[in-house]
Amino acid sequence: MNKTILFDEHVSIGAKMVPFAGFEMPVQYSSVKEEAIAVRNKVGVFDVSHMGEFFVEGKEAHQFVDYIITNDFIGAALNKAVYSPLCREDGTIVDDLIAYKLAENKALICVNAANIQKDWDWISQFSNKFECNLTNQSDDYSLLAIQGPESSKLMKDIGINLGEDFEYYSAAYNTFENSEVIVARTGYTGEDGFEVFCKNNKIISLWKKVLAAGATPCGLASRDVLRLEVCYPLYGHELSDDWTPLDAALKWTVKSDKKEFVGKNTLGELKPKLRLIKLKLDKGIPREGYPILDANEKEVGKVTSGTMSVALGSGICLGLVERELFPEDKKFFVSIRNKKYEAIYCTKPFVTGGHK
Amino acid sequence: MSYNTPETLKYTKEHEWVSLENDTALVGITDFAQSQLGDIVFIELPEVGSDVKQGGTFGVVESIKSVSDLFSPLDGEVIEVNDSLEDAPESCNNSPYDSWIIKIKVSNPSQVDELLDSSSYQNLCQ
Repeated sequence: MNKTILFDEHVSIGAKMVPFAGFEMPVQYSSVKEEAIAVRNKVGVFDVSHMGEFFVEGKEAHQFVDYIITNDFIGAALNKAVYSPLCREDGTIVDDLIAYKLAENKALICVNAANIQKDWDWISQFSNKFECNLTNQSDDYSLLAIQGPESSKLMKDIGINLGEDFEYYSAAYNTFENSEVIVARTGYTGEDGFEVFCKNNKIISLWKKVLAAGATPCGLASRDVLRLEVCYPLYGHELSDDWTPLDAALKWTVKSDKKEFVGKNTLGELKPKLRLIKLKLDKGIPREGYPILDANEKEVGKVTSGTMSVALGSGICLGLVERELFPEDKKFFVSIRNKKYEAIYCTKPFVTGGHK
Repeated sequence: MSYNTPETLKYTKEHEWVSLENDTALVGITDFAQSQLGDIVFIELPEVGSDVKQGGTFGVVESIKSVSDLFSPLDGEVIEVNDSLEDAPESCNNSPYDSWIIKIKVSNPSQVDELLDSSSYQNLCQ
């Protein structure tokens, strides 16, 4: 089992550690509730060093990234980040990722920890089509996500100067204690926030400084609640090898008018089989795998992620339903331990995060 | 870390506590259990009048991230459930030994001998 550099730091402040994606990761420190509230109202910090970092350098670095992802990377401005699925030719999803345009000839791709090897095997087969050099530096980099309305003040307090116009989804080289870091205004909570990629030798110092500046240490459990409240998909739940971005409400990330990219030929004409829905329950907590029923108690789909929302105090979930079975009256129930609970079909995320 | 295990109570290996009075028993979850679960957000209670079996499930306790079965320490009939936990499940975190979940009429008193006392249970939580 892998450990992030911060393993001992987590244990020393009482984190409960669990295996996740091949790493021993903190699932919670004090209380999931308190951690989630800290991120919504103040600022929290997550060790997400398990995530993967691929760097692409060379004259055609941007063209390469644009070719492997479905979203538009060429069209993004310099020092911007782009969220995108990574698809196969048949449109199925290898992973989802954020690609950062760091310089004219350089990009960083951040991928899910569980998929590092799979992604590497998939994308490295295309790198020789372009004038670029692809490197997997996942073992050399650590990553902190500093999230919440007070995160930009915290960045200033720890000596990271963001500069002018560093708006949401910006990304640039910066310095922390005279060392080079990459700072992006991205995250997985829906709140304003930053992700700081730094070399392993600086991460303990960065972590300690962020905690000393008042951030609440937050684990995987609160991270999952926070992302679910704002309806961000998670690979292995809403996204998988068997489905396409069109199944998972990610049509907006598929830019079919791009000249050429992996999956273009199928994704343009594909009729999705599934539809991602959001449900809120007044009573009961929906969990992954629970059946979603229509008004006639016919099973139409399954919950892909579910939890108790800390912000709302009610059960919330994302679920995938068969398009053919999608009920016109939009009346749904979730079956919890063979008892049906009424679920409210929602068209907007359960919580509106504070990012601009 | 040490957990509160009052001497007046009996315990199960599944981390329920039992408070016996004549042929009735109050059942709740222990300090250790609530601490392991974290923020408790939902408790599914059984119907009053239902029968429970020693070691059988009688309900469910959910934290934000987990779903766990509740196991009956003894055979009997549920004669009362603590409805106040529907609106305030967090009281099982805040005061686990004041937050009984079910009251049962014990039908097989000899099973009491199989329950753990405070010090044996304390050892189990180490």
